[in-house]
Amino acid sequence: MSTEVKEVVKQVAAPRSSELDAPLSSKRMLVNLGPSHPAMHGTARAVVELEGENIASCKLDIGFLHRGFEKSCENVTWTQVFPYTDRLNYVSSIMNNVGFALAVEKLCKLEVPERAQYLRTITSEIHRICDHLTLVGALGLELGAMTVFLYAIEGRDLLWDRLTELCGARLTSNYARIGGVSRDIPEGWSEKTVATLDRVVLIRDEIDALLTRNRIFVDRTRGVGTVSRADALDLGFTGPCLRASGEPYDIRKAAPYLVYDRLDFDIPVGSNGDTFDRYLVRIEEMKQSDRMVRQCLRDMAPGELVVRDFRYVLPPKPEVYGTIEGVMAHFKLIMEGIQVPAGEAYGYTEAANGELGFYLVSDGSGRPYKIGLRAPGWPMLAALPVILQGALLSDLVPVFDSINMIGGEVEQ
Amino acid sequence: MAEEKKPEAPAAAPKPAGPPAPPPPRNPGMVTATIDGREVVVKPGTTVIEAATAMGIEIPYYCWHKRLSVAANCRMCLVEMSNAPGGKLMPGCQATLGEGVAVKTDTAKVKDQQRATLEFLLLNHPVDCSICDQAGECKLQDYYVQYDAKPSRLDIPKNVKQKRVALGPTVTLDQERCILCTRCVRFMREVAKNPQLGVANRGTRSEITAFPGQPLDDKYAGNVVDLCPVGALTSTDFRFSGRVWFMSTARSICTGCSRGCNVSLDYLGESAYRLRPRENQAVNQEWMCDQGRLTYKPFNTGRVLKARLGRGPEGRPEGRDAAVAAAATALAAARARGGVAVLLSPLCSLEDLLVACAVAGEGLGVTEVYAGGRPDGWHDQFLKQADENPNRKGLELAARAFGLAVRPFAELVAAAGAGTVKALWAVGAELPAAAGALASLPTLVVQASNGGPLAEAATVLLPAATVAEADGTYVNFEGRGQRFEAAWFPRGEARPHADLAAALGRGLGLKTPWRSNREAWLALSPKLAGALGPDFSWDSLPSAGRRRGFVPLAAGTVDGRLAGQKDRMAPEGAEPIERGVAPSGW
Repeated sequence: MSTEVKEVVKQVAAPRSSELDAPLSSKRMLVNLGPSHPAMHGTARAVVELEGENIASCKLDIGFLHRGFEKSCENVTWTQVFPYTDRLNYVSSIMNNVGFALAVEKLCKLEVPERAQYLRTITSEIHRICDHLTLVGALGLELGAMTVFLYAIEGRDLLWDRLTELCGARLTSNYARIGGVSRDIPEGWSEKTVATLDRVVLIRDEIDALLTRNRIFVDRTRGVGTVSRADALDLGFTGPCLRASGEPYDIRKAAPYLVYDRLDFDIPVGSNGDTFDRYLVRIEEMKQSDRMVRQCLRDMAPGELVVRDFRYVLPPKPEVYGTIEGVMAHFKLIMEGIQVPAGEAYGYTEAANGELGFYLVSDGSGRPYKIGLRAPGWPMLAALPVILQGALLSDLVPVFDSINMIGGEVEQ
Repeated sequence: MAEEKKPEAPAAAPKPAGPPAPPPPRNPGMVTATIDGREVVVKPGTTVIEAATAMGIEIPYYCWHKRLSVAANCRMCLVEMSNAPGGKLMPGCQATLGEGVAVKTDTAKVKDQQRATLEFLLLNHPVDCSICDQAGECKLQDYYVQYDAKPSRLDIPKNVKQKRVALGPTVTLDQERCILCTRCVRFMREVAKNPQLGVANRGTRSEITAFPGQPLDDKYAGNVVDLCPVGALTSTDFRFSGRVWFMSTARSICTGCSRGCNVSLDYLGESAYRLRPRENQAVNQEWMCDQGRLTYKPFNTGRVLKARLGRGPEGRPEGRDAAVAAAATALAAARARGGVAVLLSPLCSLEDLLVACAVAGEGLGVTEVYAGGRPDGWHDQFLKQADENPNRKGLELAARAFGLAVRPFAELVAAAGAGTVKALWAVGAELPAAAGALASLPTLVVQASNGGPLAEAATVLLPAATVAEADGTYVNFEGRGQRFEAAWFPRGEARPHADLAAALGRGLGLKTPWRSNREAWLALSPKLAGALGPDFSWDSLPSAGRRRGFVPLAAGTVDGRLAGQKDRMAPEGAEPIERGVAPSGW
């Protein structure tokens, strides 16, 4: 290095005295988080205005996962909507399947066979455990607890393995049908599932032990992102986030569907409405779901999987190939779709994140005239700027996690 | 018959108590009754099914047809009527409404009867949907799902009958699929006035058949295929060639004769598959002749899709624009030398001919045009006209609008032979007679959609669109203007005659800026001075809600709507929805 260059480097490297003396900048700083940022779930973007280290305002920018779900549904038959619903909350797709099926059945005034109702409940509750495991694991991950995440994902995939055996797909289950479910449990599945649940109980308890009394975890979550009961109601919260704020509202109790009125389970309720409560509610809900699945597996009796009505459900293949009635029904259902009576209906179920609502309008033809989706994560996501007002930037990530924004359903 | 010959009952016998006298009419001269609780006032003699249809109440039927006599044999339309003897169900197609009668179409008894009727009709119906041409537009399928939807209870083998009876040159019968509604028998007797079909045998052996040694060769026999509510009577031409639920439909006009029967042109992609008559009480009711049914063939085969310069061995393909420029140069030179003639085909649309006449009069300076077109054919008193050109009237109107005289084709051939005509511009290449001396003209510019003697002899050949590829108007022999719509974008390099003529006009120094037949119509139709009457409106054919151009798989049903969707059609007069992708250079 020549001496001249050395001289220049020295000048640049040395701080100017004026810089050291200047007051700290009082200007607010804009920080752009996401959409492709490891801290942001899915593909959301947050534009955060910082006052020092505190969030002065936060603007959310979503739509990176927008697929036109509602409009796409108008171009397919009622049955072909199911794969689209898989992609709403993709962590717990069967709950979306079931929610849509129940809404259409409301319009058709269909009574689903009992075994199908049990199977829908079992798969829904297994998926609720998967959903909560994902959230809890990710929450740990974001606060530095990588182990928790790995444990949770292990448990989730064990459960997904069981659902894969049931419906053939790990993620996009496409399990429910209008009038029932697509297939019965394979032989020995119940015992296997109980064994899996036993394993997941160990994992859940391990996570519970690692996090719930963990100093770092508690410090980072307790009193952070607090939403009061009144605010939660005003902001349209449902599901675990609402219950964490102290409102004991759960559609499974308030308006029981499927076989929930026959099951013995409790609704865990938080008291502070902070991130820690939202975490605790999820841990507790996993225990309740576990209880429900075991009860269902015990009580479920053999029976039909779908209603035996050619207007709604494809005839069995021997009838399709062997009788004119069967082939006609098959043809009409495949080519024109189920003729859902004209009218409108709002079907609502308790999905993992809250109230999953399908508002359907039928013009009496084989395709939906209009589908409106109430995505459970949406009100919580919309409330995030309010929750985060004045919070530390570092708290944005765990709070964002604890409301469990799922791009697939929020952005449709 | 024996009953009538019985002697009259003795007068002394006590008269049995008859039904109570009907109440006096509430609306004098009319009949007031109720259907499903809704009051309806109809003319005396109105049947239940007619009144219900007018009220928007659906009564299912197979054998009834509004243009045929009543047979009441399918038993699908049975309804409850308060004046029925013994509370029996009455056929709605035959029973007339009486004063104060209450009709019920949706009671448990009626529904049970409908279900039973369907089960009965399906008892011996073969498991054929997968191979049946009717699948997708079959009333058995529709009604089964709507009124029955119950599994089969049949546990013995089905009846076996003939699966492919060639009734005649155009119709093939599958006797197993037949439900014996006798619509075809009644059509042949009452409309075609040629009773070539009948029902033979009894009971489960009953079958529709032509008489021994007499094929079903009536020129209107193809209509029985449309009439057949199931897949029994099939068109020998269309049989097994395409699936109707994949097809789209364009509202078109038959090009077979100057009657201009309204037709539905069923197409898939860029191919036409069949023509079906479209209802128009004033023109063709809902029938068409078998010859007309085949006029879609030239849309698919024998097409001219590329421009060509030179004749015979010197011919070489050329880009369309360059060929149009070459044609303009040749015609301009010929005009300077004298001896230019224009030949117009009455198969072109009115728009094509208006543009052609404008270019002929102003660009080429001719005062007369020659009429080409197909030679005359057979005719009858029903639909078919001897003139087998759909738009001769339109040609005359267009020529008159531009002050051009119309001369017969024979004079053109004579003039060419005599050497007074040295150059010819032919819009449409259909000829009523041999081309003769025309084939050796030094300058022969031909716009042709299909190959032929004139297209082969052309020194400049320009590819033209068919009726299936352009919007336009035909004027039938009565002077009735009838619109047709494009099904798909023109194949290959082809463009509508009007576009080619306008481009030629620009090459000749004229201002012909129209980009579509509609624009050409708006600019030139004032010259027609309302010759099509006050009722004609170019935009009368609503093209909204239709898909055109490239149609994705399973996009449309036979009436052009999406499968399974109802009431999605935009209101009449709405802007057309262009869903297709135009090929480059359009």
